[in-house]
Amino acid sequence: MRLEKCWFCSSTVYPGHGIQFVRNDAKVFRFCRSKCHKNFKMKRNPRKVKWTKAYRCLHGKDMTQDSTFEFERKRNRPERYDRNVTEQTLKAIPLITKIRHERQKKHITNRQKQGKTKERERDAKELEQDIQMLPKKDVMLSTQKTKVVVKVSQQQTEENLMEET
Amino acid sequence: MASSCRTLPGRIEYLESVYGLIGLLHRELAAKLCINKMVQYNFKKITVVPPGKDFIDIILSRTQRQTPTVVHKGYAISRIRQFYMRKVRYSQQNFYEKLSTIIDEFPRLDDVHPFYGDLLHVLYNKDHYKLALGQINTARNIIAKISKDYLRLLKYGDSLYRCKCLKVAALGRMCTVIKRISPSLAYLEQIRQHMARLPSIDPNTRTLLICGYPNVGKSSFMNKITRADVDVQPYAFTTKSLFVGHADYKYLRYQVIDTPGILDRPFEDRNIIEMCSITALAHLRAAVLFFLDISGSCGYSIAQQAALFHSIKSLFMNKPLVIVCNKTDLQPLEKLSEEDMKLVMEMKAEAMKTIAQGGEPNEECVLLTMSTLTEDGVIAVKNAACERLLDQRVETKMKSKKINDCLNRFHVAMPKQRDNKERLPSIPQAVLEARANAAVAKEKKNLERKLEKDLENENGGAGVYSASLKKHYMLADDEWKEDILPEILDGHNVADFLDPDILQRCEELEREEGLRLEEEAAQEAFQIDGHELTEEQREILSQIRKKKAMLIQEHRMKKRTAESRPIVPRKFDKDRKFTTNRMGRQLSSMGFDPSAAVDRARSKSRGRKRERSLSRAGNDGDDMDIDGQQSNKKLRVKSRSRSRSKSRPPEEVVPGEGFRDSDQKKKAIKKAKDSVKKRNKEARRGEADRVIPTLKPKHLFSGKRSIGKTSRR
Repeated sequence: MRLEKCWFCSSTVYPGHGIQFVRNDAKVFRFCRSKCHKNFKMKRNPRKVKWTKAYRCLHGKDMTQDSTFEFERKRNRPERYDRNVTEQTLKAIPLITKIRHERQKKHITNRQKQGKTKERERDAKELEQDIQMLPKKDVMLSTQKTKVVVKVSQQQTEENLMEET
Repeated sequence: MASSCRTLPGRIEYLESVYGLIGLLHRELAAKLCINKMVQYNFKKITVVPPGKDFIDIILSRTQRQTPTVVHKGYAISRIRQFYMRKVRYSQQNFYEKLSTIIDEFPRLDDVHPFYGDLLHVLYNKDHYKLALGQINTARNIIAKISKDYLRLLKYGDSLYRCKCLKVAALGRMCTVIKRISPSLAYLEQIRQHMARLPSIDPNTRTLLICGYPNVGKSSFMNKITRADVDVQPYAFTTKSLFVGHADYKYLRYQVIDTPGILDRPFEDRNIIEMCSITALAHLRAAVLFFLDISGSCGYSIAQQAALFHSIKSLFMNKPLVIVCNKTDLQPLEKLSEEDMKLVMEMKAEAMKTIAQGGEPNEECVLLTMSTLTEDGVIAVKNAACERLLDQRVETKMKSKKINDCLNRFHVAMPKQRDNKERLPSIPQAVLEARANAAVAKEKKNLERKLEKDLENENGGAGVYSASLKKHYMLADDEWKEDILPEILDGHNVADFLDPDILQRCEELEREEGLRLEEEAAQEAFQIDGHELTEEQREILSQIRKKKAMLIQEHRMKKRTAESRPIVPRKFDKDRKFTTNRMGRQLSSMGFDPSAAVDRARSKSRGRKRERSLSRAGNDGDDMDIDGQQSNKKLRVKSRSRSRSKSRPPEEVVPGEGFRDSDQKKKAIKKAKDSVKKRNKEARRGEADRVIPTLKPKHLFSGKRSIGKTSRR
């Protein structure tokens, strides 16, 4: 039993789901649901359809190249069962997947950082330019310095001075 | 022998001579063309012989179809003659061809292998057979003669009628001939059908012949060693004809022929069935297996069987003979009585004489015991018989002249001895020991081995026990055999991840990850965003944005045209919203000094009234003073009066308008109003307003009528 990847959207096809289409040149196409199947029949290119993994990877939206992908590789020759190896593998799989998820998230946040800087710049500019729209008495900027007049009584100082001397 | 011989002696002699001539010719021809007659005999290819009537019908209908059918008496006489001659000739040719095929396809008893010749004689009587064929031949010749005669006569036919009569006569005579031979045709057809079912026995290949009394077990033996399925029944003469099967021995194919049982009778009294076996015995060069039933359950004692043996022992000349004692499960050979034993030994002695001169007098090969029921000794008998036959055949071949040609073709090269040293094959000691042990181990293993089937039966049978397929797995540690391996984990195939050094790689990965996280943390700390907005700034920004949104909304509202948005003109401002005070308040909220604007507004609104009040007696000093404190009522009164600054009666003639007098003006006003009245009733704004708000209002264009038609709307 094997989990396969949908040819169109690259999501996993669990057993009992989806349709497999075998073409005359013996190439097998697997689809996870009828949406992908129908898109395929309409001859749509998954690289141009926005919600597929193929599009996202091609346009740099999702992480494509990483060392965690090399752990998962389809092997054509079955390996002899070894309990120790299997144990280690079963323990390793969640770790690897966790790391992969983290890295994917980081990739996406990095991608979105540029948007944030632009937004901030825009806000600053707007603030600078359009502040004149508001009535002046409401606008109290922290940068504006208000003059506070402190009256210092001269007599007292003179008296103090005299006292000291 | 044939009784019909005596009725027509002369005829038969004539026929035989004719037949013989034809046979001679055939043989010469065959010799010239080197046709190999010693092929697999197959009588299935003879064409069907039609009965007399059908024969005639076939030929006549063919004549009618294949020759022209239309002739008139006005034709030229030669044409008429040709027409009828053609028909006669065509019929004769067809008869000739068909009868020739019959004669050619039926085998000539003198030309086939004497075994078949005798067999056919036994079954069908040679003389009858030859007679029938002879008659056919005669008929053929007679028809040829008839046709010749009539063609000669037709050459001189002078009218259509005469030619036609001649043709009718010719065909009629030919048909009569055929009618006369129809019994022969029927007989030949029967023979053909029977011959087609004869077993195809090759008289020249290796053959084993099984003979003996009825019910001794010959057919059972046959069934055991070949794939033939011969009937085995308790009554005598179950097998009524020869049966052929094939058995293999030492990569060679042997024919095994099962014969019907033979009874001990004088030769002349034998029936056809027995004669078949006798024929087979006489003509086939085969190894003979004489079956003896030592238990006597066939119904005949050993003495009788021995008597039979001695009466036909002349037929066993030059044939390897094996005496087979059957049914040993009922009566073993050792426990036979004295006389029976003596008889058997006598038979054995006879059989020993037939051993080939060059062969060893091997006692075991002559007298064998077996039981077809328990299958004990069956294979041994077959092997012995085959072996002896093979030896004999090889010897015969060696002695014949042809072998020399073969021998000349191959040569066995023997290496010349260099010195007197003896060089034996060198087998290492270990191999010899292994061989010695292997035999012992194999025995032990065969005894001890427990099959899966036994295991299944012990543990509850087929439906209950399910064999553990993992039993024979070859793993590094046998404890792992019954492990259940998960194939899928969290949406990944485990098999894709399997790797002996996955631990190491995982550690590397974690190290990498640690490094990466450190780097990231460092980077984040380094990135000081100087452009971060403070809380206050954010608030101000949100206010700005709100303001902008409001402006946009108002603009959008204003953008809508007057048609879709009713605008209340200021003169119908019932809430009294638009006051100078309000304006003053709004201006001050924005931070401007409203006094100048208010004055301006006031001055504009009060303009005329002020002048007028000044021209009258100046009471307005008070008004000016209490400018900002006017009550609402006063404002109302004043504003109303403002809009009606000077009220004139409508008919009053104003000098600049162009009316002669007020009557004219009144008429003009009335005319104007009249023209507008209709338009106002239709809610039209003016002359040019031809707008129809709904072109097809639903209430006018839908609905059924309770009575009447809806043909117009």
